[in-house]
Parts: sequence; structure tokens; C-alpha cells
Amino acid sequence: MIGVRQRASGLFDRWLKRRIPPAPRMTLSHRQIFIVPTRAGLALMLLLLIMLIGAINYQNSLVYGVTFLLGSLFWVSLHHTYRNLASLEVHAAGSTPVFAGELAPLELNLIATRHEHQALLLSWPNSQSRQLDVGKATEARVTLYHPTQRRGWFSPGRLRIETRYPLGWFVAWSLVDLDWQVLVYPRAISLPMPPLGVGGEGAVEQQMVEGTDDFQGLRDYQPGDSRRRLDWRAYSRGQGLHSKIFAEPLQSTQWLDLAHTPGVDLEQRLSHLTGWVMQLELAGKPYGLQVGETRIAPATGERHRDRCLRALALYGSGQ
Amino acid sequence: MKKAKLKAHSLIPRNSLAWLLTAQIVVLLPHLPRLPFWVSALWFGCALWRVQIQRMRWGYPGPVFKTLGIVAITAGVWLAERTLIGLDAAVMLLLLLFMFKLLEMRNPRDAIVVIYLGFFIIATAFLFNQSILLTLYQLFSLLVLVAALVGLQQTAGRNDPSRALRAGSILLLQAVPLMVVLFVFFPRIGPLWSVDTPGGSATTGLAESMAPGDVADLARSGELAFRVSFDGPIPAHETLYWRALTLSTFDGRSWNHLDFASRAEPRDWQPVGEPLSYQVTTKATQQPWVFSLRGATSEDERLVLTRDFMLRARRPLSETTSYRATSYLQSMLEPQDLTSTQQRLYTILPLDVDPRSRAFAADLREQYPDDADLVQALLEYFNREPFFYTLRPDTLGANTNDEFLFDTRRGFCAHYAGAMAFVLRAAGIPARIVAGYQGGEINPSGNYVLVHQFDAHAWVEAWLPGQGWVSVDPTYQVAPQRIERGIQQALEGEGSFLEDSPMSAARYRNISWINAARLRWDDINFQWQLRVLGFQADRQSGFFQRWLGTTDWQRIGVILLGCVALVMIPLALWILRPGRLPRDPRRRAWARLDRRLQRLGLQAKRGEGPRAWQARLSEALPGCRVRLDAFFDEYVQQAYASADKVADRAGQARLREYERELRRCLPRRLPRGAISALDTRDLPAESSRL
Repeated sequence: MIGVRQRASGLFDRWLKRRIPPAPRMTLSHRQIFIVPTRAGLALMLLLLIMLIGAINYQNSLVYGVTFLLGSLFWVSLHHTYRNLASLEVHAAGSTPVFAGELAPLELNLIATRHEHQALLLSWPNSQSRQLDVGKATEARVTLYHPTQRRGWFSPGRLRIETRYPLGWFVAWSLVDLDWQVLVYPRAISLPMPPLGVGGEGAVEQQMVEGTDDFQGLRDYQPGDSRRRLDWRAYSRGQGLHSKIFAEPLQSTQWLDLAHTPGVDLEQRLSHLTGWVMQLELAGKPYGLQVGETRIAPATGERHRDRCLRALALYGSGQ
Repeated sequence: MKKAKLKAHSLIPRNSLAWLLTAQIVVLLPHLPRLPFWVSALWFGCALWRVQIQRMRWGYPGPVFKTLGIVAITAGVWLAERTLIGLDAAVMLLLLLFMFKLLEMRNPRDAIVVIYLGFFIIATAFLFNQSILLTLYQLFSLLVLVAALVGLQQTAGRNDPSRALRAGSILLLQAVPLMVVLFVFFPRIGPLWSVDTPGGSATTGLAESMAPGDVADLARSGELAFRVSFDGPIPAHETLYWRALTLSTFDGRSWNHLDFASRAEPRDWQPVGEPLSYQVTTKATQQPWVFSLRGATSEDERLVLTRDFMLRARRPLSETTSYRATSYLQSMLEPQDLTSTQQRLYTILPLDVDPRSRAFAADLREQYPDDADLVQALLEYFNREPFFYTLRPDTLGANTNDEFLFDTRRGFCAHYAGAMAFVLRAAGIPARIVAGYQGGEINPSGNYVLVHQFDAHAWVEAWLPGQGWVSVDPTYQVAPQRIERGIQQALEGEGSFLEDSPMSAARYRNISWINAARLRWDDINFQWQLRVLGFQADRQSGFFQRWLGTTDWQRIGVILLGCVALVMIPLALWILRPGRLPRDPRRRAWARLDRRLQRLGLQAKRGEGPRAWQARLSEALPGCRVRLDAFFDEYVQQAYASADKVADRAGQARLREYERELRRCLPRRLPRGAISALDTRDLPAESSRL
């Protein structure tokens, strides 16, 4: 039974993929929209059947009239429900990385190019839905949240855009795959810092790297430089934005190596490393990372941190 | 499954509740006057409770209260209707449950149940009343219910009652054309099973017995009984004797209808005179009597001609009915002779009443041996003696006819007809009373006559050898204006005409503009009854015959499908019409091209400029490079380099031309490799990936 269902859902997914291929931008039209009567719509049909029998039995023209009016309304509402979804433009508008277990924010632009769209319900299976209207010739920017579980590239699957407006007798929906990819970092676990130089194998060169202790001079600001190291005084004099450079011997550099990280399994060790990266970045201390083959030279700054976290997130996934 | 659970917990928005409460009172209103007072009080209580629930002041009713409530409702219906089965009780129960459901309504699904009950109740109201005004009102109720339904679907917090109402009206208006097609073409078939009629077995119209002595004050309603449209000119008022039934036995106090005397084929009769064709439309009376002039025949299969020369329906009229008949006013009815049974039936009288009338009859018999002379003499007697026509007669004692003929001499048609029939029978002349209506009001705005309940009349038929049954009307001798001009003229001075209904428009017939408006309204009502309410099987087939020239259901089915398509397709196209594209020709050209390219799976990215887009397209469509360059150069030139906001005509035409050429050059489908050339991942503007 379950096997049959799985196979059926697999077939459906393949069919859906052919019909609505993944794309970061999509205009909904008859290819993408499905529409069926809701349970309320079917109940109305039953009610109309009873009313029709009443009209026949009592030979009452006006009861016939009410029945036919509601029947026509049912039919008219089909078109309105469809139209409420048709010609809506959906754009994926980006996301930001999150730690595993957090809600991934997924941004979405909904553009009503031709007419108004009311009461659109956006949802993923097993996640909270969000209802909104998009006025005519306007653009609505929505952030949806999807729970994440595992590190790596996360793709939220097909987003269901649904509407029952105006009468709730039909439900029109589309399952759009906006080709979202969200980077999910490992869950960060905070442990006390390991002793210095763990895994700094053969790190004997007395090379000075950018550190925190010994002021060496100024250099031009580069994006990613820590805000704490900006030379605000020079900036206020109108001399442009500069970062202060400190030097420290390599020995004081924290090397983080997966091979020497405690933990029961790989995921936990990656989590510990993630926690350390966050702590070191917060403290502004330079750190290097060695995860398997990947080796990231010691540095500081948001860009460096993101590189490290990315390496941790994608470790073992072949990317 | 989980989603359904989530839904069940969502609450009814406040605005939506306001709609529901409004809808409920609107739907209940036409029923409330029919129902006992406590029903209105109950609705008020339920609504108040509901509002308090919404304000978090009171809680929902518990299971004990609900059970008690159901029991109380059932008991209430039983007390009011004395039964729990039957239409009236069922409707009342439905209404009470509809009110009660308010308290139980927690989520949108319950609200939908309430709205559906509302639809049903709107339909049931038409079983009790089918007037134009109620129909218009019910259309409004329907609109409110539809608006409530829209309100339920609107985004919470943004729902706006006036928008819901507007959306509802647009939907209803768009539903009308299809409804009309269905209404006309849906085959009308007979009832599937017999049902009881609304309002119990209450009948309206004529009674099957007549007891003049018991009536002290005859209250007559201004309600319409039936309408007649004549094919030719309308005959004179005094010839319009609408026959419905005969009363042929007298028990000393009342004249009664004898069913078996009329349950047979007529024996012999000869149509004499000009045929007079007319169509009668009568509303449901729950009686078999139908109305016709003397000497009537009808080809209508629902009617039969009875032994006493009446048209009669095979089944009591349970709906508005329209039938055609032809009358020969001077017909001879049973001119040859009567059977001995008939002779006896129409001369028999109770022995111990009205001795003075009998003596009077014996006197007349002695003076006039010829039956015709005797009838004439009796009519002259009514004319000569001081009889007075009134709707406020005195009640009479044991010998009704004696007291009326010789003492009080005040009465209306029933008194005169009853007394005359008695005297004729006492003199040995077969006689019976005919009950029906006399006259009617000629409506100048349509070629028809309106007959009201106050036109009800009774007169006498006497059988004369060689002539058969002859109609004689003693009332004419007393109050000729009653017959010539109508009852209102006959009662001028007395003021008893419709004195119980001061609001009845018929009372103010003297004021010309009120009268004109009333007649116009009557005309509209007549058309309504005839064309809408009376649109059942026979009228429908008549309609098909007249307009489509066929009654063959197969052909009608084809025409129906054609009509449905004719209505549905344009409407669907109109509803689904795409909104307007941008006005600017440049943007329009861009949008058109965009749509075409989308079919190839090529899309400009958000924020991607025309040049970058052109570059990517050139890569994907190497065959069209020249055309692409031409189009994009012109586009960029017009959009960015020209000073004017709108390009001149020549520029527009050029852009259009380049666009057309480009579109013509685009392939139907893109080769497989081309998509990967457009890999979006390496573009910095790409935002969906990190």
C-alpha cells in the first residue's frame, strides 16, 4: 500500500517537474494552475440537488430560480478563483544562510501585473502558511520561513500558492519550484576554546599575520573588515575609511582542525567547530580552519567567517 | 491532515461575523410574521449571546445546554404547529436550528453551514409567498449571504464589508445570464412524489356551502381571485357571471354542494351564440373549482366538464394555473328534460321550515301556471318590494327564508339567491344555486379583467321546460348597479366596502392616480404570475413551440447546449480577460517579446538591464543575433537616449517592425544545450542562491 503510494507520488513529482520546471521567476498561467471544487463546493452541489428536488415537487418557479442562480454562481466563481491566481508573477528574491534548526527566511516577490490578487495563501507542507493580498500593479515582498534540519544546501521544495477567493467553492493552486538554495550551517555548539595551535602542524614560520595585539599601521577599508578595527578618528577627519592593522605572531593564531576536535560523531564535531568560529569571530581573534582537504588560512572578518562556515556546512557533500 | 486541524482552529473574523448576523436577520425577516413572537425573541437572545462570545464576555454553550436547547426547540415547534412532520413544522424547525447554530459557530466551516442553511431558507420562503416584492427582497438576502461568503475568504484583518458586497454583486450579476438559460430550458417535470402544501390544507376562495342566516357581517378581502384575458373585446360587465360550483341541497339553514350531482358527463347541451374565447389565470386555491362563463368548453386536459356544466380541475389547484376556455353564452343546457332523479334532487326541501315561503310559493303557482311566468313574477316581487342590498344583514332565526322575505328584507346575494331557490323549489320548479364571481374590473392597460374576492356572487339556475337551465339573478332586481358596475358602487353610502382593510388600494379606486398605479401594478403582477410563476410544463412546451417551433426534446437539448455555450463562453472570456498591458508602446513591445521568450524558457532576470539580457540572448540564440541587435539597439535608443517620454510614430513603427522580425526568427523550441548556456548561477545578480 505504502509502496504504491510512494510510486504514485514519485510519478506525480516527475510529471510536475515536466509541467512546472524549476525557475527563479514564474508567471502563473493555465500550465501552472490547478483548480478543483472544495468540500464546501461539493456540499453546495448537494444542497442544490435537494433544492432542485424541492422545486420539482412543489412545482415552484422561484425555487427553481434560486437553485439555478446558485448553480450559475458556482460556475462563475470557478472563473473568478482561477483568475485570482492567473497572471501573478512570482520571483524568488533571495535568502540568508541560517544555522541548522533555525527557520530559513525565504524572500519572495509577488507582482500583480494585470489585476489584483486577493487572499493568496502561501505555504509549504508542514509549515505555517501566510495569507496576503497583492494590489493591482503593485509588488508585495514577503518573507516566508521554513524550518531547517540538516547542514548543507537546503531547498524548500515546491511552494504552494493557493486561493479560494471569492466564494471558497473552488481551490486554485500552483506548486512552484523557485529553485531556492539556502546554505544551512551546522548547528553551533559552544565549548570552551581548545588550547592554542591545535593542528597547527609544522607551523614554525615566524610569519606575522594580522592579529589583534600589535598595532602596525593603517590600510584601506575592505568589505568584511571588523567594525571594531576601523579608524573612526581618521574617518571623522574626512580622510576616508581605514582599518587598523595589528600584527601578532602566528603562534597566537587559533587553528581549528576537524581532525582534532572532540565529539561523538562528525556532525557534533562540525557543530563544535562552528561554535568556535563564532566565538573567535566575536572576540576578533584570527583563526584558521582545516576541514579535511580544505584549508583556510588564518584571518578575521565577516567574509572569512562566512568562508569557514560555508566550508563546514558543505563538508562531505562534494562541493 | 495537519492542515485541516490548523484550519479548524482558525476563528471567524469579526467583520465576517457582522456579515453573518446581518445575513441571518435578513434571511429570517420574511418568515418572522408567520411565526409566533417567541421566535423573534429567541433570535435576539442568540444574536446577543453570539456577540458576547465574540467579545470574550460569555462562553460557548455547554453540551447540557445544547441538548436542552434542542429539546426546547422541538417542544416549541410542537406547541406552535401541533405536529413535527409536515412542511410548516419542518421549516420552523429549520429556522430555529438556523438561529441556534449561531451559538455553536466556532470556525469558518460552521459559518459556511450557517450560510448554506440561509440559502435553503431563502428557497423555503418561496413556498409560502411568491410575490414580486418578496422575490426582490430575497435577491437582496442572497446578495448578503454571498457577501458573507466572500467575507469569509477575504484576508483576515483586511476584510472590508463594502468590498465584499461589491464582489458579491458582481458575481451575482454575472450569474444571471446562465440562470435565465437554465430557467427557460430546464425540463419541467411533474412532482416526483406528492408533498403537502404550505400553510396546511387551508383553502382560499369559494366555500362549498352557504348559510345566509348565520352571517352578520360579511368581510370580504380585496385579494385577487383570478384574471381573465379575452381574445376579443371584453363583454359587458353584467354578462360576466363566472361559474364555479353549484349548491344543490338545502338543509333548512345552509345550501350545500353535492359532489355526486356534478361528478358526471353533461347529458345534452347545445352551444348557441358567438363563441367567446378567454384565458384564465388563477392562483393556487387548493380547490378543484375553476372559473368559466356559461356554456364553457375547454381543450385543456387538466379540466373536465361536469354534469352541472362547470369546468372543474381534475386535481385541486396547488399552483398558479392558467387555462383556456371557450364559452357560448346563450347555450341551452339540458333543454330536453330532466331525469326523475334530477327532478327530485332539484325540488326537494326540508319539510319543517319556512311555512310562509311555502304558502307564498303556492300562491304564485296558483297565479302563474307557467314556470317561466312564475320565475318572472318572483323576480318582479324582489324588484317591487322594499329589499335592501347590504353587506351587514341581520342574523336570522330558525326560518331563514321567511324572515328574510317578509321581515328584514336586508341582505346580499346569498340571501336573495337562497330565498329565490327555496320559493322556486317549493313551487315545484327545479332550481339550484350557482356560486362563483360576478363582474370584475377591466384593466385598461392590458386586455383583461381582474376578479377579486369581493366579486364573489351567488345566483339561481332554474330549469324550464324547452329552455333547460336558465340563470336568474334576484340580486339584479334589488341592486342593479351591483351587476352593472360592481360591488363598490352598490355599497356607496353604506361604507362597508373593504372596511376591514383600510390599506387596500382597491378601496381608493376613486382617486385616479392611485387607481392607475394600482392597475399598472396589477398588470405587472399578472405578467409575473403568468410568465414566471406559471412557467411549468405546459407553458414551457408552449414556449418551445412558439419560439423554437419544436417540442422534441432532442432538438431542444441541442438548442439548450447552444444557448448555454452562447452565454457561458463570452462570459468566461470576459471574466478571464487579461488585465491591461502597460500603455507605453516600448514596454508593451518588451512585454510581448518577454512572453514569447518565456515559452522558450528564456527569462530576463530581475534587475537585468537590456544590454545584459541581449548578451545572454545572443548566446542562447546565435541564429537571431542580427535581429536581436536591431531590436535592442532601437529599444535602448528609444528608452534611454531620446529626450521625449513617448517615441514618435515612426519610432513606434520601427520598434514594432524589429520586434515582429525578431519574433518571426525565434525558434519554436530551444535546442537542449542552449539552456545550460544560460546557466544563471554565475551571474552576480542572481539572488536565489548563496
